[in-house]
Order: sequence, then C-alpha cells, then structure tokens
Amino acid sequence: MNKVWKLSILVIGLLAVVGLQVFAASPIKITFNTLFHEADAQAMQKIIDNFNATHTDVQVELTQGGWTQYYAQMKLAVMAGNAPQLGICHANKLVEMADYLTPLDNSPVGNILQMAGFNPDDYVSANWKAGELNGHHYLIPLDTHGWGLWYNKDIFKAAGLDPNNPPQNLADFINACDKIKVAGYYAFHPAEDAAPRKLRRAWYVFYWQMGGQLFDKNYTHATFNNPKGLLALQFLVDIFHDFGWNKPGSNGYDQFAAGKLGMLVAGNWYYGTAVSSGVNWGYAPMPNFFGIPYTWGNSHQLAIPLQPKGTPKAVYLAAAEVIKYISEHSHIWTMYGGHITAYKSEATNPELLASDYWTKSGKWLNEMAQKGLVHFPINNPHGSELEQAIQAQIQLAVNGQITPQEALNKAEADCNKILQGK
Amino acid sequence: MKGAWRVIKRALPYLVMYGIAFLWVIPVLWMADTAFKPRSEIFTIPPTWILSHFTLFNIKRLFTQWPFLRWLLNSLIVATSVTLGSLIVSTPAAFSFSRLRWRGRDALFMILLVFMLLPWQINVIPLFFTMNKFRFLNTYQGVALPMIAMPIGVFLLRQFFINIPKELEDAARIDGCSSFGVLTRVIIPISKPVFAAFGVYMFNFAWNEFFWSMICLQKKTMATMPVGLSMLQGAHEIDYGLILAGAFMASLPSLVIFFFLRRQIIRGFTLAGSGSKG
Amino acid sequence: MGRRIGEFLYRHHGLEGVLYALPFVSLWAVFLAWPVGYGIYISLFKWNPMLGSKFVGLANYAELFHSLRFWNAVANTFKFAGMTIPLIIGVGFVFALMVWGWGRTHRGAGIIQSVLFFPYLLTVSIVAIVWKWLFDRDFGLVQQGINAIFPSAPMLLNSTVWALPVIAIATAWWLSGYRMVVLQAGLEEIPRDLFEAAAIDGAKGHHQFFHIILPLIKPSLLFALVLTIISAFRTFGQVLMMTEGGPGRSTEVLALYMYWVGFDYFDVGKAAAAGVVLLFMILALTLAGVKLLGLRSELQ
Repeated sequence: MNKVWKLSILVIGLLAVVGLQVFAASPIKITFNTLFHEADAQAMQKIIDNFNATHTDVQVELTQGGWTQYYAQMKLAVMAGNAPQLGICHANKLVEMADYLTPLDNSPVGNILQMAGFNPDDYVSANWKAGELNGHHYLIPLDTHGWGLWYNKDIFKAAGLDPNNPPQNLADFINACDKIKVAGYYAFHPAEDAAPRKLRRAWYVFYWQMGGQLFDKNYTHATFNNPKGLLALQFLVDIFHDFGWNKPGSNGYDQFAAGKLGMLVAGNWYYGTAVSSGVNWGYAPMPNFFGIPYTWGNSHQLAIPLQPKGTPKAVYLAAAEVIKYISEHSHIWTMYGGHITAYKSEATNPELLASDYWTKSGKWLNEMAQKGLVHFPINNPHGSELEQAIQAQIQLAVNGQITPQEALNKAEADCNKILQGK
Repeated sequence: MKGAWRVIKRALPYLVMYGIAFLWVIPVLWMADTAFKPRSEIFTIPPTWILSHFTLFNIKRLFTQWPFLRWLLNSLIVATSVTLGSLIVSTPAAFSFSRLRWRGRDALFMILLVFMLLPWQINVIPLFFTMNKFRFLNTYQGVALPMIAMPIGVFLLRQFFINIPKELEDAARIDGCSSFGVLTRVIIPISKPVFAAFGVYMFNFAWNEFFWSMICLQKKTMATMPVGLSMLQGAHEIDYGLILAGAFMASLPSLVIFFFLRRQIIRGFTLAGSGSKG
Repeated sequence: MGRRIGEFLYRHHGLEGVLYALPFVSLWAVFLAWPVGYGIYISLFKWNPMLGSKFVGLANYAELFHSLRFWNAVANTFKFAGMTIPLIIGVGFVFALMVWGWGRTHRGAGIIQSVLFFPYLLTVSIVAIVWKWLFDRDFGLVQQGINAIFPSAPMLLNSTVWALPVIAIATAWWLSGYRMVVLQAGLEEIPRDLFEAAAIDGAKGHHQFFHIILPLIKPSLLFALVLTIISAFRTFGQVLMMTEGGPGRSTEVLALYMYWVGFDYFDVGKAAAAGVVLLFMILALTLAGVKLLGLRSELQ
C-alpha cells in the first residue's frame, strides 16, 4: 500500500512538473474583441502591445473596429460557444447583456474579483456600481465619456465675445448665439450631426437638466410627456427654426471643422478632428441651460463573456490579469482615446496631466464626471427599441414636420406599447 | 445659318455623351480628390475642387495602420472562389432544370425562384449556427458557400439553355453523345457569353457582399474589403480622407481591368440570339 | 465502362436529371434552404437559447400585423422597388443606346463607357458616403445647386418626401452601369441590315425601337430585370448608411426593419416572422410575374 502511494505521488508530481512546463512553454491566449475604432482603437492597441511585450505567460489577440453589430455578434458567439475571453460592454447595456457575461464574483471557477485582487476603491464609484446587477458584479469600468461644448475662438472674437469665457448659463448662451448669428455664422449645433439618435440625446440633455425622468423606476410606462419634456423639445426645435441658430439636417462636426460654426456639442472623440481641422477652438463643460448642468455620456466597461463549460481557471485569471493591466495603464487610454479613465490613480498620472489633450479639453470632462454630471442613457432590455421609438418622433419634430406636442404624444404611445405589449 | 446648324448637329452627340459622363463622374472625382487632401482642406465652404496641398497622408495611414493588402487578398480569394464555385455547380443544375425531365423538377425550380429574392436578414442567424457546426466561421469557405448556394445562377443559365435549339442536342445524341457529352460538347461551348455575364455579376456580388461577411468574419485579418472599409468608418464621425482613400485604392484594380478588357467583356455578354444562331 | 454508365443513365432519365442538379441542390439545401426553414421554425418562438425559447405559436405574426411600423416598412419596400427598378433599367438602357448608337462613329465612347460603368465597382458603403455628402446641407454639391435654383427647397435627404427618391437615384448611379453593358451586348447582336431594311421601308425612329430593338433584346432585358428586382428587394446598406431609415421612418425598408428587430432588439423570432411574410409576398409576386410577363412558356 505504502509503495503504491509513493509511486502515485511521484507520478502526479512528475505530471505536474511536465504540465507546468508545457504551460510555461505555450502562453495562454486571450482573444479580446472591442467595438473601438479610429483613435480609440489605436489607444487600446498601444496598451495591449505593451502588455504582450511585457508578458510571456499570457498573450492577447485584439480585434477591433466592428462596431455595427457588436452586441449581436457577442451574443451569437456566446451561444455558439466560441466567445472571446474579453469584451467591452457599455454601462447601459448590462441589463441586456448580463445573461451573456460571466458574473465576476460568482464565476464557474469562483470569485474572480477576489482571486485577481480587484479593489472597488480603486475605481470611480459611480462607474464601479454600474457593473452591478441583481446582486452580482459583471463589469470592470474602463472610462467615462460624453458630450461637452466645443467653441470657435476666432468666431467668438469676430462676434465681439470673450474667447476665453464661453457661456455657461442660458442667458449668456442666448446672447452669445445671437451675436454669432449676426456676425454671419451658424451659431450652435446641439447634437454633433443629423443622426436621429444624436438629436434624441440632445433632447435628453435638456430634459435631464430640468430634472426630468424618461421612465418610471420599473419601466412600466414613459414619463416624459409633460411640460418639462415639451419645453426641452421646444427648445431643441427652436434652435433649428425660430432662433435660426442652425438648420435642420446639417452636420455640426463638418460645419465646425470648416470654421463656420460658433459652438458645437460633441463628444470627446471629436478632439482629433478639432486639432487637425486647423480651427482655433476652445472647450467648456456643458452649459447649465435649465437647472442641473447634466451632459449625455456613457461608460465603457470590460467584461468576460460567458465561456464554454470546462474553461480552465487559468484562462479566467489570465483574462482578469489583462483587465487589471488595462486599468492600471489607462492613462494611455485617456491620452490617446480621450475617454476619462475610471481608475482613480491613473487620472493623476503626470504624463497625462501634462498632455495637450488634458489641458485643452480632458480636464473639464473629468470635472463633469467627478461631479456626477455625466448622465448615462436608459438601461432596459428594450432600450434600443424604446430609444428608436423616441428618436423617430424627435427627428420629425426637429424637421418641423410635426409639433413637439405631437412628437411626445406619439413617442409616449409607442414606448408604452413596447413596455406593456410584450 | 445652315452651316451653324450642321455644326450643332455634329457636336450634339459629343455634348450629350460627355455631359452625361461628366455628371456621372463627379462623385468619383470628389472621391479621388478627397483621398489626396489634408484634413484641413476637406471641409471648406464653398467646397474646393482643385487640391492645393497634395498629400499621401491618407494612403499612408491606410497601408501602415490597417492590413489593407490582406483585405484585398481576402476579397480576391472569396470573390474568385464564389464565381468559379457557382459556375461549377450551377451549370449542371441549370442543364438538368432545362433539358432533363424528372419528377418534381418544376416545383423545385419555383421554390428556387422564390429564394432568389430573400434578403440575408431572414437566414443569417441560423446560418451562423450552421457554420459554427461545420467550424467554418472565420474561414473563406464559410463566407463563400452561402453565396455559391444562391439560386440566381441556376435561374439565369437555365433561361439561356432553354433557348438553345433542340436540334443541336438531337444531333449530338444521334452521334452517340450521352447527356454529359451534350452538356460539355454542345451546351457549354455556346454558352460562354452567359458565363461571362453571370461571372462578372457574381464576382462583383461577392466582392461587395457585406452583411453575411460581417457576421461570419470576426477576425480583422480575415476581413474582406467591404468589412474592412466599414472598420475604417467610425461610429461617431466619418474620416472622409481615410475611407475614400480606401475606396479609391480598392476600386483601382477593377477599373484598370475593365478599361482594358472592355471589348472582350461586352462581346462576352452577348446573350441574345447567339444560342439560336449556334 | 463509361459508356455503360451513360446508357444506364439514359434509360433512367429521371435519375440522371437529379444527379446533375444534386451538387447545387445539396449546397442550396444546407446553406440556404435549411437556415431559411429554421428561420420559419424560429418565427413561432420568443427565441432565446440562453434562457430557453418559448413557443408562442403565431403571436409574432399577430404582433407584426398589428404593427404600423411593419406595414410602413412593407409600403416603403414596394415604393422603393417601384422607383428604383424603372430608374436603373431606364438609365442603363439609355446609356446602352447612346454608347451603341454613337460609339462607332464618335470618339471617346470607350472612356465614356468606363466612366458610366465605374460606380458599379464600388462597395455600398462608399456609394452611401459619397451620396450623403453630395446632399449635405452645407457641403453638398447637389444640394447647393438645388438651393441656388430653388432657395426654399428643403434638404432632400432630410425630407420625408424626397429621401427615398434620392436613395433610389444613388442606387441607379451605382447599379445601372452593369445593366448598360448587358443591354449594350444585346444591341450589338442585332444585325445592322435590319435597320437598313427598315430605313428603306421608311420606318421612323420610334418604330425601329418598338419593332426591332425591343423584341430582339428581350433576353438581355429579362436578365437585367431579374437582377434588378433582386437587388431592389434586398436593399439595405444604402438606407442604413444614408438615412438610418429616417427622417422619422420614411425610408425604413423591410430589410432594414428586420435588421433592427433581429440584430438590435435581438427579437429573432419576430424578425424571422417578418422574413416569412416577405417570403410569401415574393412568392405571390413571382407567380403574378410569371403570368404577366408571359414567362410561362419559358418555364415549361
């Protein structure tokens, strides 16, 4: 008996040694699919390249750029049992995606959060909380991104305005727009370009600033068809009609890059274009139009999609290691991608603080994020359908084809049908 | 007076032809023009046409930051195999549907007809799982097979075969040809025009196919040109310089080929009557 | 040996026919018919393999029939087909006549033909981007031109009336070059002496067109028509990238609607149901077309 025991221990030991060596010889491969593109994709590539160069036990294969069907593809891949080990999930998509993601605190191999040593205090708390659902934790925050005010300093000078003092309240804002209009420019574009989803976001911003709520807490019905919602939409419509600050259907990005637009509401991703356009621009937080200076925004978060049964623990831990590395080097993400890191210590990285991006625009977006003024979109399994129902009507109202009241009536009816009809 | 009228009458065809061609080429010119413009010149009001600062910046970005040549190669492989594959399987099928009699033939053909018009959106999700079973996701065969299986080729070739006079076939039969002989010695030799026309269509279809390719090819290195070009086009705003440089470079090879083989292609397309004339 | 197989097959004619069709039909069955059939099966479910699909019978269909948005998409699909098919064939035909009629006697027809064909070589996303730009309010050449003539004209791509026609025109620009080549090939095949004889008989131009040209290029025309109908019903990319179905829902065609429902809302059962409805509409249309166009004789 004793002999058998000794022998088996020897064999197991040998196997372990051989196993370890095989393990060490072929690194764990982590595939990481993102929906990033342009500057974002390059920033993530930089981080992952650094990771691969400094690690021998884990190697990451990064695929980026496919943003059109990203979530549908992730769901299909999970169902087919060939999901990537690492993916991106917007904070407001968690409700819809949770069934397809590994709960990090309750994975098949145990509590990954604990094993990999994630500390919630390292992250901006609002972003960290966005990764929780039904008592489980699914996401590790990467950033906060959102809209701010880009303005043309030369146009400000031509209109007799102070180019270092962009308007931050409604009265100043109206005054500035009227002066810019008189000077012969488009005064203002509230929503990047003419895409319906962006017009909808602009309306959200005005409505949120009045303290409005889009739906009740349990998403039983729409709660936006009220005087506040109407006033917000009227304001959005007037920008393109009565005020004459711009024209419906126009592309604010391009107007601004051409030096024809005084003020543009656009996301941090506009930085690269703004720099290369040659326009003498400035950046300011979203003005306080109606009470609370909310802006529209969202948060990219990292997730481990649901893995096939029997995926070894080492793979989960390797994926967690990559997430941790990305967090700890996310100042690169902010510097080159423009999104504000959610990892607190990285937001004070000296290299980042000295960078052009930070001093010219990033720090203000960071300020908005710190103050909790970056308002995330609705978080519902029917989110996409609800938002499309809303934006179709908003667009018609902005075009002047229906009145704001008609738009809200129709949007409310459509949303209620979606929420109650299923 | 009369002389002036004659001049006009002679010039009119030129005016019309070049006028229309000019209208048609404007979008293309703008595309080529933008591909070589620095960003600061792309957005100007009024738009400028003559670029004052020629730059290869966009083309350079295309080749250094993206696997553009790989996309070109992928597209070439997929489009070629779809074209050849569908010619190879559609020809005998069209022959069978037009010249051989068997039970259920016409009913099956009607079903094929209906399937011709269906958009990808109806079958793409089940197709994804089928391909996953075969382990064909992210492979050339995975993208190509569903396109080869499209009934359009069978329909078009059958339409042509049906017009080939029966006497030709009978003559061959009398000479001792089997059906295979009829197909290879009679039908195929006089069907070159329709093969050319259909081949060009199929090649172009595969070259431009986006929806299924996007679902099937999730790896950047496997992407075909349309999928690759869509990666160049961001979600937030359009990087006109980069994407039009890509479009310009992607269409250049086919344009050169078309320009030089124009006559052959058109001669090859001649469908009407050549069958009846033998 | 080979001869024996041949004889065997000749005697069993039916088997032989099946044999020739088999390679294609089996590919078709696995990669097209089976997925579509499975799609029809899915259309009876609230499909969710992760949590278990729920059989709902015809509920998805009932939802569609009560949905104004669905019928709007159906109407837009037919409207778009009605605009784009004549436009593509018409433009292609005119170009073919032009290049054919003047090509021999006038210089530069080759270059012109290449220019007219070129758009066909572009992928749909490029076509959409270029045309969206042409109709941009501030930078669009065409939009600026229109506004110079009619200062009060709306931005066409942002108009519920004009957006769909503009997309149809862009599609014609993209696709008519190939139809031109197909039709021109048909024209080249008409013997020139037919026209000379007609000219001696004193036939007018339009007479030649209706009595010589049209009947003789019918095969080419049919070829072009079938391809054009197919692309009209499958239209998707141009609309997604030029208007996203807007303004409002005025350009939302069925393929786009199915895309939103299937890929954005991930209501795969309902999207499949929409596909099945489309399938039956196409079936009815095909049967009607077979009767109307007198294809019956060609089908037998």
